[in-house]
Amino acid sequence: KGRRGQKGKNRGCVLTEIHLNVTDLDLGYETKEELIFRYCSGSCDAAETTYDKIIKNLTRKKKLVNDKVRQACCRPIAYDDDLSFLDDNLVYHILKKHSAKRCGCV
Amino acid sequence: EPALSKGNNCLDAAKACNLNDTCKKFRSAYITPCTSSTSNEICNKRKCHKALRLFFDKVPPKHSYGMLFCSCRDTACTERRRQTIVPVCSYEDKEKPNCLNLQDSCKKNYICRSRLADFFTNCQPESRSISSCLKENYADCLLAYSGLIGTVMTPNYIDSNSLSVAPWCDCSNSGNDIEECLKFLTFFQDNTCLKNAIQAFGNGTDVTVW
Repeated sequence: KGRRGQKGKNRGCVLTEIHLNVTDLDLGYETKEELIFRYCSGSCDAAETTYDKIIKNLTRKKKLVNDKVRQACCRPIAYDDDLSFLDDNLVYHILKKHSAKRCGCV
Repeated sequence: EPALSKGNNCLDAAKACNLNDTCKKFRSAYITPCTSSTSNEICNKRKCHKALRLFFDKVPPKHSYGMLFCSCRDTACTERRRQTIVPVCSYEDKEKPNCLNLQDSCKKNYICRSRLADFFTNCQPESRSISSCLKENYADCLLAYSGLIGTVMTPNYIDSNSLSVAPWCDCSNSGNDIEECLKFLTFFQDNTCLKNAIQAFGNGTDVTVW
């Protein structure tokens, strides 16, 4: 129950997709093949755990001024299936963990 | 026509595959074993074949045939089509066996035996029929042909300027069986039923069947 409540608060963090050429990724491949790239975006402002609340409170009270303590970030918590493509020199390549499948505030 | 000649149907089919979650997944699932070299081999051929069979079993023909039977106007396209099954792993071997010996090893395997029988039944040419096929059914012929991919009888295009296909074998050292061997090999290489079926799919002229 609690978990669902927390998830609801961070409705801002969502999976978004964009249709790209493989060359748009700038990974050094020469090919005309394409892909759907999925990424995580949105805010994780609503504190997820007691830990996050404490960090927020301590930061506000300037007790952690010297440390860069990060708040939760909207990041992939699972990756999409591998992507394979044939390049212009007829060599196959495989991209792993290149695209998000699920997002979370972690 | 010049505008059309710029198109590469095989590239378009590969793009369409990677935009479809199922096709993308099963494509990578065979590209991975078919391109991973092991300590003393180019690849694990057995794993490559298994993943290729899974690709043609699970992916809708629209996508799998799209890459295998795409129609081409230039070598960039035909070379891509020839690479579809990763021939360096799934097709080529150090030595080319005699086709009748290859047929014998195929018959020892249940999957290969039944798929080869399907191929000879469903791609039987018949010069007097309109389709050039005895069975008059291009879809069944293409299904039987693609079913051989991932068996020891895995066929592929043999050159870049025709739709001639063959398994990795020849008829040298056939002895007295030379005619039987050539008959077997010709069924692949010079089969008007199969060629017409591939052409019809590539041109989208026989759409009702799919």
